[in-house]
Amino acid sequence: MAFERVLTRNVGNSDALTLRGYRKTGGYDALEKALRMEPDAIIEEVKKSGLRGRGGAGFPAGMKWSFIPQKDPNQARYLVCNADESEPGTFKDRLLMENDPHQLIEGCAICCYAVRAETCYIYIRGEYTKAAAVLERALKEAYEDGILGDGVMKSKFKLNMYVHRGAGAYICGEETGMLESLEGKRGQPRVKPPFPAVVGAFGSPTVINNVETLCNVPHIVSRGADWFKSIGTDERNTGPKLYAISGHVERPGTYEHPIGITFREMLDAAGGVWRGRNLKAFIPGGASAPILPASSIDIKMDFDTVAKAGSMLGSAAVIVMDETVCMVRSVARLAKFFNHESCGQCTPCREGTNWMELILKRLEHGEGRESDAALLKSVAGNVGGNSLCALGDAAVGPVKSLVERFPDEIDAHVRERRCPFPQYRYF
Amino acid sequence: MPKLTINDRTVEVPPGTNLIDAGIKVGVQIPHYCYHPRLSVVGQCRMCLVEISQGGKKMPKLQAGCSTPAGEGMEVRTDTPEVREAQKGMMEFFLINHPLDCPICDQAGECGLQDYSFKHGVAYSRFQYEDKRTYPGRERIPLGPNVILNMNRCIQCTRCVRFTHEIAKTGELGFFNRGARTEIGTFPGRELDNPLSTCVVDICPVGALTSTRFRFAERVFYLDKKPSICTGCDVGCNITVEHRRGDIKRYKPRFNPEVNDYWMCDYGRSTFERYKTVPRLRTCRVRDENGTNGSATATGWKEAIDAVHRLLRQRSAEGAVAFLGSGFLTNEEAWLAGRLADIVGTPHRSVPVDPGAGWTIPNLKGGLTGGELAPNRRGAEMLGLRPGLTELDETLGAPKKSNGKEAADTIDHDELLLGDGASRCAVLVVLDSDFGKAAYSPETVERLRRAKTLIVLGWADSPLAKAADVALPVATHTEKDGTFVNLEWRAQRFNAAFPAPAQVRSTVEVLADLLSRFDPAWGDLTAGKVFDRIAAEVPAFAGLQWRTLPATGASLHVPGSEAMMSDTAAQSVPEIS
Amino acid sequence: MSVSEPRPTPPAVAAPPLWPGWTPESRDQLADLRTRYPTAEAVLLPALHIAQRICGGWLPDEAIRAVAQELELPESKVYGVVTFYDLFHQNPVGRHRIRVCTNLSCQIRGAEEIMEVLHQELGVGEEEVTPDGRCSYVHFECLGSCDTAPMMMVDDDYHENLTPKRAREILKGLK
Repeated sequence: MAFERVLTRNVGNSDALTLRGYRKTGGYDALEKALRMEPDAIIEEVKKSGLRGRGGAGFPAGMKWSFIPQKDPNQARYLVCNADESEPGTFKDRLLMENDPHQLIEGCAICCYAVRAETCYIYIRGEYTKAAAVLERALKEAYEDGILGDGVMKSKFKLNMYVHRGAGAYICGEETGMLESLEGKRGQPRVKPPFPAVVGAFGSPTVINNVETLCNVPHIVSRGADWFKSIGTDERNTGPKLYAISGHVERPGTYEHPIGITFREMLDAAGGVWRGRNLKAFIPGGASAPILPASSIDIKMDFDTVAKAGSMLGSAAVIVMDETVCMVRSVARLAKFFNHESCGQCTPCREGTNWMELILKRLEHGEGRESDAALLKSVAGNVGGNSLCALGDAAVGPVKSLVERFPDEIDAHVRERRCPFPQYRYF
Repeated sequence: MPKLTINDRTVEVPPGTNLIDAGIKVGVQIPHYCYHPRLSVVGQCRMCLVEISQGGKKMPKLQAGCSTPAGEGMEVRTDTPEVREAQKGMMEFFLINHPLDCPICDQAGECGLQDYSFKHGVAYSRFQYEDKRTYPGRERIPLGPNVILNMNRCIQCTRCVRFTHEIAKTGELGFFNRGARTEIGTFPGRELDNPLSTCVVDICPVGALTSTRFRFAERVFYLDKKPSICTGCDVGCNITVEHRRGDIKRYKPRFNPEVNDYWMCDYGRSTFERYKTVPRLRTCRVRDENGTNGSATATGWKEAIDAVHRLLRQRSAEGAVAFLGSGFLTNEEAWLAGRLADIVGTPHRSVPVDPGAGWTIPNLKGGLTGGELAPNRRGAEMLGLRPGLTELDETLGAPKKSNGKEAADTIDHDELLLGDGASRCAVLVVLDSDFGKAAYSPETVERLRRAKTLIVLGWADSPLAKAADVALPVATHTEKDGTFVNLEWRAQRFNAAFPAPAQVRSTVEVLADLLSRFDPAWGDLTAGKVFDRIAAEVPAFAGLQWRTLPATGASLHVPGSEAMMSDTAAQSVPEIS
Repeated sequence: MSVSEPRPTPPAVAAPPLWPGWTPESRDQLADLRTRYPTAEAVLLPALHIAQRICGGWLPDEAIRAVAQELELPESKVYGVVTFYDLFHQNPVGRHRIRVCTNLSCQIRGAEEIMEVLHQELGVGEEEVTPDGRCSYVHFECLGSCDTAPMMMVDDDYHENLTPKRAREILKGLK
């Protein structure tokens, strides 16, 4: 593709792991430029760029930054970088952190300067030991070089940045769950309001942004919002985007495309469905996104189009499933995931995810009833929209799409009293 | 002050009030499990989902009433099909994994699940082909000496966890594991043994936490519940006496934000057990006057009162008459006893109390710490039993009969219980046979027995009562009316929860009867009448009225009564006329 | 060894490592961590990671108590945190801890067969330790390596693009 790689430009360039190597590619120029700008001007620029959160919800980043109260100069403010990438199918942030740690540090630093936060925590999931080590090394270099610490790049701006390792909990990717976890508690999401922008980490205003979102920031600062806006489908879907494609494709991996590429183009870039098989279904945005059938192959992969099609772009983690895949088993696996990862505090999610997993397992084991499809839909309806955080909504996405888009497969399971697809011992 | 409507009823509430509390103000009950007014808001149970519109625009999702502060112009609805559907859904979620063991569950009858499934649930189950989640081996875990956990019944509302962290501040309980396997419990090897531990049973909306003391004692729907005051210490926790036909099964805290808030201590809850374990004095007993060696014989009330009257009249010339009070006396009883002592003309009055361990009952002002194991030492002293009170009240028209002793030389409780005061007494009237531990010590009984005549009133047939020349059976505090004054000088009323046994009268009646023997003008009295006389005569009680005394009590006009006082109270004992 | 055969009684397992106490380096680490956060409680997750390393990969109750004391937190709170996160273990683990991603992307590319290989090769069930204390394995949720499915994590290392043969080789290489 004739598309310039922006976020992943240093992937494969092991030189960029060091500060000197990163500087050679123009690194930290954006931070230097930012430090000469008014903080509010940076927020305006990011707002103008139309950058939307790359973590899943797609909330405009500049807007988020502008919510941080600035009245009290003595108030502590925090940036928490969400590097708790746990959404099944998602592995783009790991790539960014392991290959270009300074890009993330630079993005975090610019964000901190813009919202006047003096402390940044990079909350990285505990399993990413390599990425954590890479980041730690990069942070050390940045401190030694005066990029972090008292007086960032010889300015009056003071910034401390730390890596905080999680310990294995998907729910800590939810922003308030992450804050709780950062504070040393169980990662149980908080009730909102108050929102983190007002009462966040340690009771102070806090911005929480995804790794990929923050990695976009240096490029917006150095090349301008208009350049950023020139990439993408429309005003609301701008910029380069990492698409992680996995499952039954020839060349799974992370691909950088302008936002709004069609799924067919993406699939072609990844070598198409493997072994020459036919596409059956795909998940466009990580495990939480409702599954789309093969007929949606020409969908534009941006936030709004995917939402209109009854799914979500989420983290743009695409899982491709070929014709041999049992949808019931796949959804049951996702239901098991959500049941395992539900924090257990709110009723619909705790009980509902468990119940859905039990029903789906029963179906897969050939003990389904005719009423199960309706039951699944009803239980999913009681979970979705009623839970404390978004995990409940996420958990019902795949289930609802199974009932609505693949009713024949459920019927086949019930009718034949077994799974019509090849069996495995493990579930 | 935001003004909003809830189901079309308009309500104005202080800023920050949540929708559940706002609803209560206008009689709209928003069902909830995890929300408790004194615990942090966690929004977990999702039972309180409501529909909110603002400016005619409906919010896309239902909102939790507990975590949504009332906002100006909000239109809240709890009766739309969406809300009903959500409530039904939540009830289903609560019940799918809840055991159907109501017939053997202590909570049945006061169970949040039962109540809400009746109101908001459905009568059938769609959870037919799956197995209920169980916690094998965690069906009857003693969390501590007072609380037993049945994890199968838990609905994970975490009220108990938050209680131990936020109210008791001891943090024994925690929320463990996650997802459908979340459970509550203590760290291995730790016990839930804080002095307030049983409160977690009260706030548990289901039968997961049950009280060791109350476990299997009675079906709650058979219990009669009457408001009362705890006699465990001088905090004066407001309680509900719960009994079946006079057999007390438990005390539960009764909400009073000024005193004990929603809480009470484990010791207080155990105090009713005295009424069952200590033998009861059931009839009047009078010993043959000719010899103290003779055994006391059961008599009727008339003979007994006659005997006391005669003894007080005759023997008071032979030596001192002393009144040994009790911190368990009500204000009314103490006042009448004081008047009786006035008539007899004796300064020898005192109120012994056992010092307490000092449990702190948390409330919004920080908490009250009891220091005495009796509820009313202050009231009893103030109203007539303080040592050295010699001034006779001329208005009572009692015959003046001074025994000529100096006030400083009064025979007080130290003298009686630890010294040899009793041997100087011609008559010693002990107003409560259960005034403290000393009533059960053979040594103390022997000391008190040195009085020529020993008259004992009381509900307990304690060794002291057994040693008495005249023993008069009177009601326990659950069988009579009265008021206590707590350590903050708050007068709190209680009423009989059930009648006293036959042959047992209230101390007020007995003292009124005695007073009438000296002066018929006294006539029949009830606690209420006595209280109103106290209110008329004692400035500290001015303006109070038995009938209108609020359920949460009233502060007395005493210096420092509004302030929190733990033991500085002694220094500011008010002078009464 | 076939799965259906009764397993030989494991040799007497050495007494579980009790809490040996904070090492000097860990004390320095903790002191440094405290400067990073405004509250002591926030040090809890890193402190538990450190304690788990000291205890050989799991957290006996004694270690949990030690962390609670160190940070002046109620034990119940620390215990709640330990039981919440997947990476903290309350039971002894093997010298090598194997985590197999079995989430959707890996499942549809054969993670279940990898699990089967582990079961056969190690002869113990999930979360059990081989009699020689060498390995323990669990199935795990997504480890963020979906493009190289199926994969497993052995201690801190990712082993990607697995086949049953490759998995067997990796197991053999573990000492």
